[in-house]
Amino acid sequence: MSSPLTIRPGCECIIRSLGQDKKVARRLAQMGVLPDTRIKVIRLAPFGGTIEVSIDQGQYFALRADEVNALDCEMVVMPLSDKTVKINQYYRVRSLFGGKTFQQKMEQQGIIPSIVIQPLELNTSPILIELIEKKKNLTLGLGQADKIIIEVIDDPQK
Amino acid sequence: MIRKNKDIVIALSSIPNTGKTTLFNVLTASNQSTGNWPGVSIEKKYGHMTLGEFKIQLVDLPGAYALLPSTEEERVVRDFFLKTPPDIILNILDARNLYRGLSLTLQMAMSGLPMLVAVNMIDELQKQGAELDIPILSEHLGVPVIPVSARTGEGVPELQHALYQVIKKPMHTRSPHISFPPVLEEAVKSISRMIDQSSEPQKLDHNFLAMRLLEDEKNTYTVQDQAVGMAVKSWRQRVERNTGTEIPVTCAKCRFNAARGLVLEATDQKPLPPDAHTEKIDRILLHRLFGLPLFLLTMLVLFQAIYGLGVPLQEILSQGFDAGESWLRAQQSIAMLPVWLQSFLFDGLWQGVGVVTSFFPIIALFFIFMSIIEDTGYMTRAAFLMDRLMHQLGLDGKAFINLLLGYGCNIPAVMGTRILSSRYNRVVTMLLIPFTLCSARLQVFVFLTAILFPPAIAPWVLFTLYIGSFIAIFAMGLLLKTLRIAGKPEPFIMEIPPYRFPMIKSVALRTWQELKDFLYQAATLIIAGVVVVWLLTHFPADVPSASADTWAGQLGQFFSPMFTPLGIHWQETVALLFGFIAKEIVIGALAVIYGGVNLKIQIAAHITPLQGFSFMLFTLLYTPCIATLAAIRAESRSWRITILSLVLGLGSAWISSFLLYQTGLVIGFE
Repeated sequence: MSSPLTIRPGCECIIRSLGQDKKVARRLAQMGVLPDTRIKVIRLAPFGGTIEVSIDQGQYFALRADEVNALDCEMVVMPLSDKTVKINQYYRVRSLFGGKTFQQKMEQQGIIPSIVIQPLELNTSPILIELIEKKKNLTLGLGQADKIIIEVIDDPQK
Repeated sequence: MIRKNKDIVIALSSIPNTGKTTLFNVLTASNQSTGNWPGVSIEKKYGHMTLGEFKIQLVDLPGAYALLPSTEEERVVRDFFLKTPPDIILNILDARNLYRGLSLTLQMAMSGLPMLVAVNMIDELQKQGAELDIPILSEHLGVPVIPVSARTGEGVPELQHALYQVIKKPMHTRSPHISFPPVLEEAVKSISRMIDQSSEPQKLDHNFLAMRLLEDEKNTYTVQDQAVGMAVKSWRQRVERNTGTEIPVTCAKCRFNAARGLVLEATDQKPLPPDAHTEKIDRILLHRLFGLPLFLLTMLVLFQAIYGLGVPLQEILSQGFDAGESWLRAQQSIAMLPVWLQSFLFDGLWQGVGVVTSFFPIIALFFIFMSIIEDTGYMTRAAFLMDRLMHQLGLDGKAFINLLLGYGCNIPAVMGTRILSSRYNRVVTMLLIPFTLCSARLQVFVFLTAILFPPAIAPWVLFTLYIGSFIAIFAMGLLLKTLRIAGKPEPFIMEIPPYRFPMIKSVALRTWQELKDFLYQAATLIIAGVVVVWLLTHFPADVPSASADTWAGQLGQFFSPMFTPLGIHWQETVALLFGFIAKEIVIGALAVIYGGVNLKIQIAAHITPLQGFSFMLFTLLYTPCIATLAAIRAESRSWRITILSLVLGLGSAWISSFLLYQTGLVIGFE
């Protein structure tokens, strides 16, 4: 499934197509940003609008939100609240994006980096997820889900 | 064998940020010249060197990502390669990240021209503990590959030796293998066969030409044959229908795939770990909250350094000129000359030369600091930080630095537009710079506000003028964006390079070059302008200079119907004419014109505060000084842009002053 890249530091996607603007597509292609390239949001400029990204070959670029939004992407790293997150798909928790209190609270519930989760209900508030290793279900507020950065994985055994 | 009688042309080419200029400086040392590429405002740099019995001209091409151009710089590179193929290509790769540059290298290697690849910054790669398999790289590219470090000089003798070998025994480069979709391969073969059969002699490989024709719709000049043109069109449609992607994207993808494969074979680790220092520094300098204040602080320090050091130097120079003038005037042979000729020599020529030299310290300091900022890589960060604001005007963030430095002096700010990335950016920025309140204007305003306004109000008048300058820039920016005078803004996609230490040698060479350019390109126009104003204010010969009877005075009176609605008397109009030489002369001119002993009393008696304000607003916006115009002409290479700058200034000045004065009168000020 493709969507624009979620513009938040730490989010990653794989580019599926370079979008409709020929000038932009050409430029990106010539600089080595191509379909199948993995791209990561590094930071947003003050006032937003301009974004620093890196690609898997070690280059860094400054782009505008318009250009980034035009890219057709498959999200691979995103917050749990992202609209591309699907039920019955496995995800690995990458990092927790919040203060100490939040991190401790999540730890108590068993959410720590590298555990595997599977969302069960997403269109509700709070949402419901399953912690695969612990075989335990857990509800999370949308605000909490927003701070949990996850990565798409195929097989929880790996 | 390459012909012996002529210089051998070696083209130095690479993508941006590979240390190309450093290598150029190492190879040609002080033996460099600059010019302009035909029809564009991009600097052409070339240097000379000798290798054994061969004389070589090394052309430093602008950085380009591909032979299919997106920017003006890339158009220059394409035209150079296709219209005047060099004898040898010297391509540079960045050892820390081969992938970035290999796509261009592969494109060039397909040209069939003798070629050499220098892998630069090899020392930094070794510091990272990585290794590079040079023979594998060389084998796959089909050309000699030499590891070098332009900074330390490591590998440079080997590079020179390898170049010598290539000149001595040039080999037709064997095209590297890149796999393209079958339909594209077929298209290339078919078109290439047509080129084989056409009678036009070609220095470049026919497959390469076919590829260039397919990728680049605007490349119509390499092969004139009409049949070929038709075939290219129909093949292009067929290939795009078949692959479902635009040919340039398909080609880029195939080349980068090949590049990725090559990197995998040539390096032992992939990808190289990102530069840890750069990451740490950027975490602070590009911080969402602290990034901008830090940038503004940097700019403040820069501004203070340029003008804090530059202005005293300017004063020393000007004292030197005054001393020179009195010494010359005292000479018997000169004192014997007719009075008008003396006046021409000193008030015309000598003053013109004085104006030119007075800019030297500022320009030198400006480029020293600019080069440092640019060479470290902070310039791209500044562009990133300021992008949102400047984007409103269709500009990118780098233009902010030029505008800001315009508040010191317009001339180096205009010259500095050449660091900007597109013609749109350059032209719009150089048209906006004259609306900054430069230090010369500030002198006039400080002087006048002190006379015309009570001490409690004067600073606010000055402040209002600064605000007026910001508003003028923004309004003009929006106007230029809507009018599309400089074409369309280009998409903003900028690579952010790792931080590096600037090299003294590069900074010094660059600054020296800029001073030379200023001298050659702007000096004549500046001196001519000063002489014209001298003529207007000193003729006819029998009247007192700058009086009502001079041509200038007559002009002032002729235009008085235009200036009366602004509250500007003819005397001030003449002063404005002087201000064209340099804005700070306005005060001196008023002193000459009003003629009295005490200028302050004269001004207070003749000009009301409202009239004074209107006059200052006019002075802020009206024509850039002659030196700025000369710089705009030199940078834009266009009289149209130069005249536009004049018109924009005069037009906006008249309208603003008119509105201000008339509104003031209506409200009841006098």
